[in-house]
Amino acid sequence: MSETTILDEIAEAPADHFRILKISDLDGDKLLELSRFMHLSLSKEDMLAVQKIYKEWDREPTDVELEVIAQTWSEHCKHRIFGADIDHEVDGEKESVKSLFKTYIFDVSHRIFDSKPGFVLSAFHDNAGFIKLDDEQAICLKAETHNHPSAIEPYAGANTGLGGVIRDILGAGKGAKPIGSLDVFCFGSPDTSMEKIKADDVLHPLGIMRGVVRGVRDYGNRMGIPTISGAIQFDDSYIYNPLVYCGTAGVIPIKDIDKKVEAGMKIIAVGGRTGRDGLHGATFSSAALDTESHESDQQAVQIGNPIEEKKAADFVLAARDKGLIGFITDCGAGGFSSACGEMLEECGGTIHLDNAPLKEQGLVSWEIFISESQERMVLAVAEEHLPALQELADLYETEMTILGEADGSGILKVTHHGETVCQLDCSKLHDAPTRHLKAKWEKKTKPVEAPVLSRPGTTLKEVLGDFAVVSREPIIREYDHEVQGNTILKPLAGASGDAPQDAAVLRINGSDRLMSMSVSILPEWGKTDPYAMGTACVDECMRQLVASGADPDRIAILDNFCVGNPEAEEELGALVETVKGIADAAVAYGAPFVSGKDSFYNYFETEEGPVSIPVTILISGMGIVEEASHVTGSSLRRNDSVLAIIGHTQSKLGGSVFARQAGLTTAEVPSTDLDEAMKMYRQYYKAVQEGLILSAHDVSEGGLAVTLAEAAFSGKAGLEIDLSSLPMDDDASKAAMLFGESPSRLVIEVAPENLEKVAELFEGLPFAGLGRAASGHQNLNVVWGKEILINESIDELKSLWKNGLAQYY
Amino acid sequence: MEERPCAVLLKFPGTNCDGETARALETVGFVTEVVQISELTPEKLVGVRLVVLSGGFSYGDYVMAGRLARLVTEQKVGETLKEFRDNGGYLLGICNGFQILTQLDLLPAGSLVENTSGRFQCQWVTLKNRAPQSPFLSQLPESFEFPIAHAEGRLVTREAGEAAGYVASGAAALTYATDVNGSFEQIAGLQDETGRVFGLMPHPERFLRQEDHYDPDWSSGKDGGETHGSGYYLFRSLYDSVTSTSE
Repeated sequence: MSETTILDEIAEAPADHFRILKISDLDGDKLLELSRFMHLSLSKEDMLAVQKIYKEWDREPTDVELEVIAQTWSEHCKHRIFGADIDHEVDGEKESVKSLFKTYIFDVSHRIFDSKPGFVLSAFHDNAGFIKLDDEQAICLKAETHNHPSAIEPYAGANTGLGGVIRDILGAGKGAKPIGSLDVFCFGSPDTSMEKIKADDVLHPLGIMRGVVRGVRDYGNRMGIPTISGAIQFDDSYIYNPLVYCGTAGVIPIKDIDKKVEAGMKIIAVGGRTGRDGLHGATFSSAALDTESHESDQQAVQIGNPIEEKKAADFVLAARDKGLIGFITDCGAGGFSSACGEMLEECGGTIHLDNAPLKEQGLVSWEIFISESQERMVLAVAEEHLPALQELADLYETEMTILGEADGSGILKVTHHGETVCQLDCSKLHDAPTRHLKAKWEKKTKPVEAPVLSRPGTTLKEVLGDFAVVSREPIIREYDHEVQGNTILKPLAGASGDAPQDAAVLRINGSDRLMSMSVSILPEWGKTDPYAMGTACVDECMRQLVASGADPDRIAILDNFCVGNPEAEEELGALVETVKGIADAAVAYGAPFVSGKDSFYNYFETEEGPVSIPVTILISGMGIVEEASHVTGSSLRRNDSVLAIIGHTQSKLGGSVFARQAGLTTAEVPSTDLDEAMKMYRQYYKAVQEGLILSAHDVSEGGLAVTLAEAAFSGKAGLEIDLSSLPMDDDASKAAMLFGESPSRLVIEVAPENLEKVAELFEGLPFAGLGRAASGHQNLNVVWGKEILINESIDELKSLWKNGLAQYY
Repeated sequence: MEERPCAVLLKFPGTNCDGETARALETVGFVTEVVQISELTPEKLVGVRLVVLSGGFSYGDYVMAGRLARLVTEQKVGETLKEFRDNGGYLLGICNGFQILTQLDLLPAGSLVENTSGRFQCQWVTLKNRAPQSPFLSQLPESFEFPIAHAEGRLVTREAGEAAGYVASGAAALTYATDVNGSFEQIAGLQDETGRVFGLMPHPERFLRQEDHYDPDWSSGKDGGETHGSGYYLFRSLYDSVTSTSE
């Protein structure tokens, strides 16, 4: 005999498929107990607000309704921290922020939209934001995290993480075609010792990495979407809370962007069936992890079936082309409840749960309505199109079911076994209580003396061999990055096909224009200077896109945050500072945010107390490349060319791989001169348009020495470099010159006869010749006037770089 | 005006290289229809000169690659594809399509099993053209590059000697220049005795243009600035063969 639960105490109508819960008499503590028991992840304040709403309605909620409200108000769906009132304090200065999202993302982006009419075609309200590719087509990009599921079940977590974001694209507009994916991971170091892990049931970073990579591989490859862009960060702070970002880009005819539900339309579900897998994913991801999560929350991790999704995708795209779709969205977090809720929010309508095809019998109403079973799309379609849609479903062998209908009532009604189990006016649910939070940030850096480099060549080998820098080739090759036959600039390229590239570029069917995609993630910077991390991430993403040939004035970006405990002032303070940084950079670059997502509670209760991740921002971006001849790779192409650098080298070493290795954890991180950077990017783009650039590689992790080595990994030539005219701070050390990671810098390769023309373009901006490619040898030679700094065999450097991760994956 | 030959690209649930493969067929001149397996009937192949099975993961390939596709095809149309071949039709299988043609016994006996690396491998490989007379390879040079992308591309035969026999007989039309995935005799592609059925693991449809190559300078030094990729010439060879033989 089980114990009596709070549910038993308050359930009024113990029907077998739903219950009415008497909450009007409960006090705050009891309400909280109910929230916890039902895994609603609603706070006491939230529950009191719910109670108040029902008092106004003069009735008691059903369990289905409470679940719907919990989904709607969950951090995952509503982003309540980004909407919170925050009392913030920076180095003693107080300020108050009313909604980070509105102030720094939405309003900032809308000002940019206004300054570039016709560029952004849709943002923030749909599954993904669209920008104009040409007169006919638009492209979109969306990224999400799937951190908690990946921590518990790495393969399935990452698998469905990618599957979910692909569905976002299929549900963007009237259905966009997914054309490329990105994945970005943060793990503990592959060589973490078991003793370091201070909690039971936490998987070793290697196990997580292998599972996650395979999960992404098996979903992306089977869907036939090239995985073209990505990054991996290794840091101890991610041992308990690995981060898994998945993103997908899509393309759509512009005429199919706007979608609308009209009264009388049928609501249909397509794709997979509904089961008990994936219950409470949305609310689960809005809470912290602990050892118990690893035992109890496994049913929150869904099971992926990419072929089911592939069939649904074929169906959706064919239906769109035939003009059969009124409205479409995916079943993501919150399942049918979110999808139907979104769809019927204004129009209203009825959903008949009895119609939903199930994986197993016996699911109660709320389980069907909120299950996050994968591979499901929900559409609103005109009734007369049903036969044509059924034909397509038969053709592509996917299951199609009529779930209900839109009726214009404004009320979301759900029926099951002949009874109404939910009846909500969704417009009344928008106002989740505004949260009030406190945040604080204090400067963490102090000037440190740069160490003297006794043997820069040896240091270069150490930096090149660091997990932050070594080649991701073993992982990249597991992803089909060329399916669809449009990957012009591949993640690995150059004369020997294995050198790293700054961005990936896709040809778009039916257009002469191309799409460039890149990502930036610099969590090390944020540990001491989150504002600088924000500006530098936007800068790096921009720079990589521009380097690959994108027009700097036609770039849009996404912000994806991962944060530990938002109730900890210091952590929230770091978030606020990061948001300010990305907002300032977005304004300076005219690169609007068109979509974004945040993930909180990435902390873990270990035996030694809570461990949080550092505030981590992923900036991913898409840029328009005007024509194929503008596509520029990052590898040396000739052995008679000359090299030059664009951008200023600062003396600050903070955030760099070198600083980490040297233990300089408080060193100041470089700042970004945003206005100057934008000027340089525009001039660089002119040089690209004039055909003056052979190759370009950005200076990022590892610094200039690593950039030069990586460019030379194409195997085309040796390098003779002299740093004596490097544009830099007067007090820049050798370490800063070679290994500092100041932003906004690009190393370019040009034909000798074009150097003067290029130099003219950069007049008044930091620009200098660096040396030349050499045909006589295969060495990286770097001097400072007469002083020899580096003289290393490129082959030897490359093998170090190439094998660094290979032994672990 | 001469009538363009018709090709059918057969698509299974999970086939995912149909778009770019159809594009390649159209580029060289085939009228191409993508036919879903659910709608396949013997009549669909009337007047068709070429049937193509493209890459992907038919039915997920959770059982042996191509096995379910074979069962469904046989159930739907029985021996139709064999009759199509006997009547002078051409069949091309790329990657998963190669696996399916092998399963359907349309190619010399062999199985495509997991790569010795145990991994999915997406990379470019150098190939050797061992059947310059093949209607699929006649315009390709002795050695050229194509990309591969597969986890199960290792061709094995019941006896190792069988694979050696394929090399001797010319059935092994395409081999890898180095050991890429553990294939016996480094076999990358097989043809049948008629020469009209050809299967290969690499993806010619991903190398239609010069700019598809990983090295932007790939074509420099080639005559007159080559704009086509090597893959183009596989489809072009096939088109010329099909159009020069009567139905």
